[in-house]
Amino acid sequence: MAATDVFVAIVFYLVAATMILAGASMVLARNMVRSALWLVLTLAGVAVMYVLLSADFLAVAQILVYVGAIMILMLFAIMLTPNQVDLPSAAPQAQRISAALTALAVFGISVFVMLSHRWNVRAVPLDAPSSERLGVLLMSTYVLPFEIASLLLTAGMIGAIVIAREE
Amino acid sequence: MALAPIGLQHFLVLGTILFCIGMYGALSRSNAVGVLLSIELMLNAVNVIMVAFAKFIDTPQELAGQVFAIFIMTVAAAEAAVGLAIVISVYRLRHSIQVDDIDLLKN
Repeated sequence: MAATDVFVAIVFYLVAATMILAGASMVLARNMVRSALWLVLTLAGVAVMYVLLSADFLAVAQILVYVGAIMILMLFAIMLTPNQVDLPSAAPQAQRISAALTALAVFGISVFVMLSHRWNVRAVPLDAPSSERLGVLLMSTYVLPFEIASLLLTAGMIGAIVIAREE
Repeated sequence: MALAPIGLQHFLVLGTILFCIGMYGALSRSNAVGVLLSIELMLNAVNVIMVAFAKFIDTPQELAGQVFAIFIMTVAAAEAAVGLAIVISVYRLRHSIQVDDIDLLKN
């Protein structure tokens, strides 16, 4: 293996382990604030994965949108609902067991399909910064979905204000 | 020990693990904000897989995976904003955001 491959492998395994541990702590944490902060760690790990996948624009957008905006929103929602923060996880045992079984079944089937399928892999993986071509694509091939997405964001913002407004 | 270089399968398995952790959280949490947090994790796991496809899979539509990831991110942002607004308005009405207490449409 070349030196870069070794470096990529080390970063991948370290960050992947961190993400999985942080994700597990997130779903198991009793306190909602801690749960949200564990999610921040996982989402930052996703940004590192984007860098490894040569998606530079998405890595920066991930930090800005998720680690910045959405997590602040989540923390605000947690703090605006006092005395709900520290409740014991009240889901009954049976529900948690069936949730775990469902997740395990989905995991087993997906991993089986993903590893047994013969993917049509590129000879040379994409290995250049992609921001410029991404911008061109968004303004040419995908311009209609792009405009609809902006409409969706506007509608979502107005909807959120109307729903959460004090009567 | 010689490990294989990091390829498509590594990212697929990582994404699946994160997706299933999120799914367990979404199904087992009793706090509505916790359910929303878990759904964010699931969406991000799918995004990782989408971007991995963009890098490794040979398709005529170059970078389609990354464009998809951008749209998923947009929809997730709108979903988080509206979802949290609903949670806050339910809290105002019921003084609880336990999902078992949100049964306004029952009876």
